[in-house]
Amino acid sequence: MKQIIFPLVASLLCATAPNAQTADATPETVAAHYADIALAAYGDSLTTAEALKAAVDALLAAPSAETLTAAKAAWTAARAPYQQTEAYRFGNPIVDDWEGRVNAWPLDEGLIDYVAEGTPSAEDNELAQLNVIANPTLELSGKSLDAATITPDLISGELHEAGGIEANVASGYHAIEFLLWGQDLNGTEAGAGARPPTDFLQGEGCTGGNCDRRAQYLVAATDLLIADLQEMVANWEEGGAAREAVTADPKAGLNAMLTGLGSLSYGEQAGERMKLGLMLNDPEEEHDCFSDQTHLSHYYDGLGIQNVYLGQYTRTDGSKMTGPSISQLVAAADAAVDQDLRGQLDASMAALTALRDKAEGGMAYDQMLAPGNSEGEATIMAAVDALVAQTKGIERAVAALKLNAIAFEGSDSLDNPNAVFQ
Amino acid sequence: MAGIALIRGLALSVLIGTMPAHADVAEAVRDVILPAYDDLARTTGSLAAAAQQDCSATHLREPFQQTWDVWARIDFLRLGPVETNGRALAISFWPDPKSSGRRAQQALIDAGAPTINDPVAFSDLSVALRGLSGLERLIYLSDITGADDVLCRLRRATATDLAAMATEIRAEWAAYGALLVQPGSDGNSTFLSAGEARQALYTQLVTGLEHLADTRLGRPLGTFAKPRPERAEAIAALRSLRNVALSLQGMQDLATALLPDTPETQAAFARALRLAEGLDDPVLAGVAEPSGRLKVEILQQAVDTAQETLATEIGGALGLSVGFNAKDGD
Repeated sequence: MKQIIFPLVASLLCATAPNAQTADATPETVAAHYADIALAAYGDSLTTAEALKAAVDALLAAPSAETLTAAKAAWTAARAPYQQTEAYRFGNPIVDDWEGRVNAWPLDEGLIDYVAEGTPSAEDNELAQLNVIANPTLELSGKSLDAATITPDLISGELHEAGGIEANVASGYHAIEFLLWGQDLNGTEAGAGARPPTDFLQGEGCTGGNCDRRAQYLVAATDLLIADLQEMVANWEEGGAAREAVTADPKAGLNAMLTGLGSLSYGEQAGERMKLGLMLNDPEEEHDCFSDQTHLSHYYDGLGIQNVYLGQYTRTDGSKMTGPSISQLVAAADAAVDQDLRGQLDASMAALTALRDKAEGGMAYDQMLAPGNSEGEATIMAAVDALVAQTKGIERAVAALKLNAIAFEGSDSLDNPNAVFQ
Repeated sequence: MAGIALIRGLALSVLIGTMPAHADVAEAVRDVILPAYDDLARTTGSLAAAAQQDCSATHLREPFQQTWDVWARIDFLRLGPVETNGRALAISFWPDPKSSGRRAQQALIDAGAPTINDPVAFSDLSVALRGLSGLERLIYLSDITGADDVLCRLRRATATDLAAMATEIRAEWAAYGALLVQPGSDGNSTFLSAGEARQALYTQLVTGLEHLADTRLGRPLGTFAKPRPERAEAIAALRSLRNVALSLQGMQDLATALLPDTPETQAAFARALRLAEGLDDPVLAGVAEPSGRLKVEILQQAVDTAQETLATEIGGALGLSVGFNAKDGD
């Protein structure tokens, strides 16, 4: 039945769907376009990280309020494309296994640098006060480690997740965020981290001690981020492992795509990153807790999910990519499911936009977490509820595409993965 | 609102007797889920009453243990009313790697906050300081300090809050249960088909077993080089292993109700339970030495096997895959 009506439904929908420039959405073309967007978004993440490196170099050459502000702005700009790639994370093991190096949180920042007395840390983290910047020789797991020069290899090989503890985040965006902003000691009151630019001043006037090693750490962490992003860009290029994984068996690829959307929407974004912090009233649970840029991270995560479903992405340079989408495949299988899901994604973006605008308007995300801030709570919960609702829609899209059985059969056993779409 | 809940509740009781097509889900709701929440409402009520009568730590330990016995059987179910207002998190908040609960609880005590005496305000406080995990710190050994009368009032407030949550959960299950057993009915956008209702319960079983293996057992196991016995759940109340065994029983009950004729799943649950009950290691401290560790690892493997068996036998028979759930993510 569906096989007969598919071309008709598809052509009817193409007249109204927002990105309907193609009538040739097949699992193969959708998977290839998905990989193209990944390549573009990781590519944008890389170029904006390189711009961050330039801003960091300028900061270290002449530490001042201006150069520090410029470096922070470069960090914020670098996050925008990266967060949109998070929709690629959970369905693709190659991305998920790598992700911890670049976006791990929350962190026991005392591993890296000085922190205020009484800073909370993971209960069993003996290294929460390690302070690499202050200590050229480190005691790690009972052995002495030479940290006289802080290099990318030292960070990735010895320090990151030291002692097997996830809170020992030594690399990635949030380590750099901590070095640029410093601790946010305002709790759920107004204000982000306020590291003085003099923390990077070489010689006389250095604040916080060890300004040379702090500069070394910042450079090494930024170089490491660039190297890690280069690796992920290569994974999505023609012949890259991540591209191969989703295009070799497009039906398994579709399953990976939708798994990524559903897992990020619900368990990760709505649950761990938003609802949990609210339920704890604890800014320790804030995703970008040093910079108070959490609202932007959440916004771009939501946008990335919508992008993948609709097969679209706006690049950092403003150019827009569109192409064969999961939405078109779902519409062909069950127009109502597609329509509902597109509506749910729109609703989530409306709620996340309201959240972003409220934060940009002066109520920072950590202030929204304060006990008794019912306006902040309602703003966050509206986004949580919308994300939970869209998860249901994603689950129904999985069912409409008849991908349910894939978990049991395994992609290898599917003799004819495209039968359902023909 | 209450009227709607009542009507839905009546509809549910009628349906349960008359809908063989969805008997699997209906039986799971009627025979396992509702009785478990009945028990939770009853035991938390007794706990709150005991705290009113005598708020000393020793007086509360028995009703506290009874309450957690009931909760441990059903805590894997993260669906419906327990998800509202973060209730499941508030009933037992664990793991709490940054000691969010202890910090918030101590701050509340130090401030002598009036919210301790105000049940409505108390129910709005951090989920980490409330519930069984919060009460455990107040009636067993912990580093919480405070004046006796403040601690007493906090015990009462925590117990009262638990009882209120349990009452609300049970009341709201009347309507939520109706959605589960009447998929596709008018106005039911939560479950559009029997498959969606089954998938919702099935997902809870798979993720519940995963949580048991990876978190309840996996956290204390740590790595061979660095075992983490201090990471076990509810150590002060000596409940780490007991919660594992009771959770397995609760999940076995739900699996049986969902699809009774599943010999391999039953055998896998029975084996895991036998191992858990035969383990003489209440707080899983044995993970720190090789022979004790091996036993916990064998139990963990048995739980993994139960999960795989259930996925193959029940998931396969009902044509279900695991849905998205609160445990997704990292």
